[in-house]
Amino acid sequence: METNLRFSLLISLLCLIAIPSLASIPSRDSLGISPQDVSYYKAGVIKCKDGSKKFNRDQLNDEFCDCPDGTDEPGTSACPEGKFYCQNLGHTPLVIFSSRVNDGICDCCDGSDEYDGKVNCSNTCWEAGKAARDKLNKKIATYQEGVVIRNKEIEKAKLAIAKDEEELSKLKNEEISLRDLVSKLKEQKERIEKAEKEEKLKKELEEKRLKEEAEKQAAKEKESIEASLQVEPKDAKEKAPEDSTEGGENGKKAELEDEGTSHEVLSRESSAEKLAKMTGNQNEEINSEHAEEEIDNDDSGHAEEEIDNHKSAQKPEQVSDHSSASDAADVNSEEQQHESASTAGLSKEELGRLVASRWTGEKSAEKDKNPKDESLKESADDVAEPAGEEENYESYISDMDDDRYKYKEEESENEYNGDSDEEYADDHADTAESYKSDEEYKNDHSEEISTTGGLSWIDKIQQTVQRVFQSFNFFKTPVDLSESSRVKKEYDDLSSKLSKIQSRIHHLKEKLKRDFGKDKEFYSFHDQCFENKQNKYVYKVCPFKKATQNEGHSSTQLGQWDKFEESYRIMAFSNGDRCWNGPDRSMKVRLRCGLKNDLTDVDEPSRCEYVAILSTPAMCVEEKLKELKQKLADMSSSQPASHDEL
Amino acid sequence: MQIDVLAPGWDDPANPSPNRIDTLWMAEAGVVDAFFFVGPETKDVVRQYLSLTGTPAMPQHFAVGYHQCRWNYRDEEDVDTVDAGFDTHDIPYDVLWLDIEHTDGKRYFTWDKTLFPDPVGMQKRLAAKGRHMVTIVDPHMKRDDYWLHKEATEKGYYVKDSSGRDFDGWCWPGSSSYPDMLNPEIREWWSEKFSFENYKGSTPSLYTWNDMNEPSVFNGPEVTMPRDAVHYGDVEHRELHNAYGYYFHMASSEGLVKRGERKDRPFVLSRAFFAGTQRYGPIWTGDNSADWDHLKVSVPMILTLGLTGMTFSGADVGGFFGNPEPELLVRWYQLGAFYPFFRGHAHLDTKRREPWLFGERNTALIREAVHVRYSLLPYFYTLFREASTSGLPIMRPLWLEFPQDKETFNNGEAFMVGPALLAQGVYQAGEKSVSVYLPGTESWYYLRNGAAYKGGVSHKMEVFEDSIPSFQKAGTIIPRKDRFRRSSTQMVNDPYTLVIALNSSNSAEGELYLDDGKSFEYEEGAFMHRHFVFSDNKLVSTNKARINAGKKKFSSECVIERVIFLGLSANAKKAVIEPGNIEVDIELGPLSLRPGSSPVALTIRKPNVHVADDWTIRIL
Repeated sequence: METNLRFSLLISLLCLIAIPSLASIPSRDSLGISPQDVSYYKAGVIKCKDGSKKFNRDQLNDEFCDCPDGTDEPGTSACPEGKFYCQNLGHTPLVIFSSRVNDGICDCCDGSDEYDGKVNCSNTCWEAGKAARDKLNKKIATYQEGVVIRNKEIEKAKLAIAKDEEELSKLKNEEISLRDLVSKLKEQKERIEKAEKEEKLKKELEEKRLKEEAEKQAAKEKESIEASLQVEPKDAKEKAPEDSTEGGENGKKAELEDEGTSHEVLSRESSAEKLAKMTGNQNEEINSEHAEEEIDNDDSGHAEEEIDNHKSAQKPEQVSDHSSASDAADVNSEEQQHESASTAGLSKEELGRLVASRWTGEKSAEKDKNPKDESLKESADDVAEPAGEEENYESYISDMDDDRYKYKEEESENEYNGDSDEEYADDHADTAESYKSDEEYKNDHSEEISTTGGLSWIDKIQQTVQRVFQSFNFFKTPVDLSESSRVKKEYDDLSSKLSKIQSRIHHLKEKLKRDFGKDKEFYSFHDQCFENKQNKYVYKVCPFKKATQNEGHSSTQLGQWDKFEESYRIMAFSNGDRCWNGPDRSMKVRLRCGLKNDLTDVDEPSRCEYVAILSTPAMCVEEKLKELKQKLADMSSSQPASHDEL
Repeated sequence: MQIDVLAPGWDDPANPSPNRIDTLWMAEAGVVDAFFFVGPETKDVVRQYLSLTGTPAMPQHFAVGYHQCRWNYRDEEDVDTVDAGFDTHDIPYDVLWLDIEHTDGKRYFTWDKTLFPDPVGMQKRLAAKGRHMVTIVDPHMKRDDYWLHKEATEKGYYVKDSSGRDFDGWCWPGSSSYPDMLNPEIREWWSEKFSFENYKGSTPSLYTWNDMNEPSVFNGPEVTMPRDAVHYGDVEHRELHNAYGYYFHMASSEGLVKRGERKDRPFVLSRAFFAGTQRYGPIWTGDNSADWDHLKVSVPMILTLGLTGMTFSGADVGGFFGNPEPELLVRWYQLGAFYPFFRGHAHLDTKRREPWLFGERNTALIREAVHVRYSLLPYFYTLFREASTSGLPIMRPLWLEFPQDKETFNNGEAFMVGPALLAQGVYQAGEKSVSVYLPGTESWYYLRNGAAYKGGVSHKMEVFEDSIPSFQKAGTIIPRKDRFRRSSTQMVNDPYTLVIALNSSNSAEGELYLDDGKSFEYEEGAFMHRHFVFSDNKLVSTNKARINAGKKKFSSECVIERVIFLGLSANAKKAVIEPGNIEVDIELGPLSLRPGSSPVALTIRKPNVHVADDWTIRIL
C-alpha cells in the first residue's frame, strides 16, 4: 500500500517536473489564496478584511494595492501587508510575506512565489517534504517513548513527594521531643557547669583562705565571713538584671528565632564589645575570630557564620521560614516557661545553699573576678547559642551558601588566585553535598531510624536521657566528673542530632515548596545537575539551585535559580556573578523533549547572558505528541493533487 | 572661509562685535592654507568649497539602505541567525557588519578559523539575498608573525619613532605598528591587500570599514601617535596628524576600486577624516552613547559634517555604549532613517538589540521606521547624485534651504532631507507633543495624514509612537518605492510612487536619478535623470540629463504605479496619459500603505507609465 502510494507520488512529481510552464502560470483568481479563503474571494465585490474598503473582483491580484491590509493582493507584492500562500504539494503549505513574491529568490518549495519569469525555481517539495516527514516521524517516535518515561517519572515523583511529606511530619514530631530533651539536658549541663565552677571557686577561695588564715586571726576571719554574707543578697540582686540580658537567654532564644539575624548580629557585637572591655583591650583588632579563640567554647564554622550573618541580613530567605521558626518558638517558649520555673526554683535554692553554706573569702577578690567570669560566660553563651542555630541554616540554605560563594568570588575575582578559589570551591561542594543528597541523609540516620526494633529511636533516647537524669546527683559534692561528662556528651550528641533534623526539616519544607511543574514532572530535577563541556569550560546547571561555568578549579556563577518561564519551557537563572562592564550574569535554559536529560548548545549570544538547551523526557507532553501526529497526517494528506487524477 | 590645517590646532573667537566676526587660529606646525568662498548664497559657499576639496563619491545603491552592525557578530551561525531574523520579521536590511572579533587575533585581512571557518560560504548566503557584508580593517598591524607585519617590516613601510625605529604602539592586537600612509608607494602597496587573492575569504559582496585611523594608539600621548613620530619625507607626525586617517581611507578605498577592476564602486566607512574625505567614502560620528542627549546632538553633528562636504555620514543608531531603552531605540531608528548613513551599531558589552528583541510592538515600530527609509530610497539616491555633482548635503540645516528665514538659524532639532522633506526628531522619553517650526511661505504636508500646515509658523504637533513628525514641502515631488523587500537589491524592478505636493500656485517639481547602482558606468552616461513638473493640471516627465552626456546608456523597465496628490482639489476623477490617450482612474487613497491608514489623498491608480519615457498625465 505504502509502496503504491510512493510510486504514485513519484509519478505525480514527474508530471510536475515535466510541465513546469503549466505549473508556473498563475491564475489571478487563486494566486496566493489559501484554501480556507477561496470562498471569501468568490464574490463579485469583495471587502478588505479590515473592513476599510471594498474592491471589485477584477482588482484582485491586479498588482495595485487597494486594501491597506493587503486583502486584494494575496498573490502579488503590491501590498506591504500582504501574505502569499504556497500550496507546496508534497510538503507543508506555507504562508510567506508578499514582499517575497517575484523578488528573484525562491521561497516556496513549489516555486509558486516566482512567476514573473525572471528566475526559474525548481520544485523541491517532494525531497524537502520527505525529509521533513522523516524528521517529524523521528520526532514523534521520540515523543512516544518520551511520554512513557515522563509518565513514569510523574508517578515516581508523586510517590516521592508523599514520602517526603510523611518524613516531614514524622521529623516534626521527633523534633519536638528532641528539642524538649535537649533543653532539659542543656539545663542540666549548665547546672553541672555552674556547680563545677562553684566548686572550683570554692577550692580557690579555700586555698586563699587557708593562706590568709595563716596570717590572720580567727576573730577577724569570722568578721569577714559575716561581711560577705551581708554582701551576698546585694550581689544576687545585681546579678538578676544582668541575667536577663545574658540569658534571660530563654526569652532571647525565642526572639532570636523569630527575628532571624539582625538581632543576632547585634548580640554578637555586644558580646565582642564586652569581650573587648573585659580584656581591657579596646583595640579594634578584636574581632569575632579573636573572640572565638578566646572563648574556649567550641564553635566550629564561626568565621563562616560571620559572613553568613552579613549576607543573611539581606536575605529574605530566612524570614520566609518564619512559620516554621515561630512554630518551633511556640513549642520552645512553652517548654521554657515550664522549664524556667523549675530552673528558677532549683537554681535559687541551690545557689542559696551554696552561697550560704560555703561562701568565704574576700569581697574585693570576688568583685574583681566575678563580673569577668560572668561576662565571659555570657558572651560565650551568646555566641554559642546562635551558632548552633546558624549552623543549621548554613547547611541547608543553598542560596546562602551560594551567596557566600559569591562574596568570596568577588574578592578574588580580579586576581586568579587558584588556591583560594580551590579552597572555597571545595568547601562549597561539600556543603552542596550535605544538603543535596537525600540518600546521604538517610545513610546518616539509618542506624537510628532503622535499628530501633520495637522501640522508636527517639523513645530510646528519651530513656537514656532519663537514666542520665536519674543517676546524676546535684547535691553531691564534689561533682561526679564522669557523670558530668556523660551529660555533656549526651547533650552534644543530641543537639547535633537535633540540628540535623532541623536541617532536614528545612530542606524538606523548601523542597516541597518548589514549583515542580503542572504534573510534578520536574521533581527529579531537584537533586540533579546537568553538565555540558564546551572547550575549556564545563557548564553545570542545577535546577532549583544555580548554574555555573567551571574552568578547572575556578567557577563562575551564571545565575541563581529564578523560575520557570513561558509555561515551563524555560528555566531561568538570574543574579549570577557580576560581569565586568556588563550586566549580572544570567542564564536561560530552554527545555525540549528528549529521551534523557541532556544539556547542549550552551551559548552566550549577548555579553554575560547565557542560553542552553536541555533535552528531557519531562517535556514530552502527550498533547504535543497528538499535535505532531496531526501535523504528520496533514502533511501526508496534502499529497500532490494530480495523484487523484492518475 | 576655509582653513586647512593638517596639524592639530586651536581656534578662539575673539571679542565678538556686531559688525564683524573675528576668528583666531593657532597651529603647532604645518602649512596653513586659507581660502575665501564668496558665495553669495549659502549653497554657493558649499559648492565652492566642494569644488576645492572634491565632491562626494557616488555610493553604491545598497549603501543607502540600512546597515546592521554590532561589536560583534560572533560567528557564522550568529550571522545567519541575525540575517534570518530580519527575514522572519520582514525588516529590510542591506549590509551585515563584522567588527574586530572576526579576525584571527586582530590581524586584519584574516578570519578567526574557529568562529568563521567558511567566510566565503557565509558571504554567499548573504549575497543570495542581495545582501552585502562589511569587515573592519584598521591601520594598526600586530607585531608578531603576522604576514602583513613581516612584509611591512621588511619593506620599511611603518611610521618611525623619533629614534628611527619602527614606531611601536599599543592598540587592539597589543603591540602594533602603523603603515606610513603618507607615502604613495605604501598606499599603493596597501591597496593591493584588498584583492581577492590577498584577502583570503573575501568575495565581491564584501566591503570595508576603517576604524582607529586617527590613528588610535592606546598608550600614546593624547591616545594617538607621538608628535615626533616620523613619516615619509622626514615629516613629523605633528605636521600632518589630521591627514593620516584621510590617507588611510584613501588607500583602502582605492584598494576596493582596484579589486573590482574599476567596475565596482568602493564602500569604505572611516572614522577619521579630513577635508576631501568625501571622495573616498562615508564617515560616522564615532562612539556615541545610548542616551537621549546623544540622539539629539547627532543632528547638528551630521548637519555640520554635511556642510563641510561629508554628505554621507551618520550616527550609530541606538548609541554605541550602553543599553537604550526601547523607546529611545525606536526614536533613534525613526530619526536615523533620515541620516544619510543609516547604521545600527552596539558595543561588545551591550545587550543584544536586533530590532525584534523588544516585543512585537517595538518590532513593528522599528520595521515601520526602516520602511520609511526604504520607501524613500529613490529620493535619497537622487540626493546622493546631487551631492556627488554639486556637493550639496543630503541632510541640510533648515537655513540652507531658507537662508532668508532668520527663525531657522538656530534650529538644530529639525532638518531638511534634500529640498523637499523636513523632519523633526523626538528627543525625550514620553514626549507628548513637539513644537515644529515650518520655514518659508509655502505650506507643508504632514506625512502622517496629508494635512497641510502653514509655513513661517511654529506648530505644536502631537507626537505619536509610530513616527517622528515629517513634512513634505509644498511645490515638491518625491519619488518613492512602496514595496518592501528583503534588501534594496530586490527593489530594482519595483514600480515607483510619485508624491506630488502642490504649492499655492498648484504646481510642483521634483526629480529622479537612477543608474545601475553599482558600477562607474554612470560616469560615461549610463544613468537616467528624470525631471517631473506639475503645473496647469499636467504632470510632465522629461529628461534632465544633458543630451549626449556619454556613450553608455542605462535603461529601466520600471513603471510608475501610483501618483499621489497633496493639495489637489477633490473633484478630479479621471486622468489621461499621453502619448496613447489612455484614461486612468483617480480615487482617494492612503498616503502610505499601512494597516489602518485612511484614504486622504487623490491618487492616480496604475498609470503604469515607464519611468524612462517622456510622458504627460493630464488631470481631467
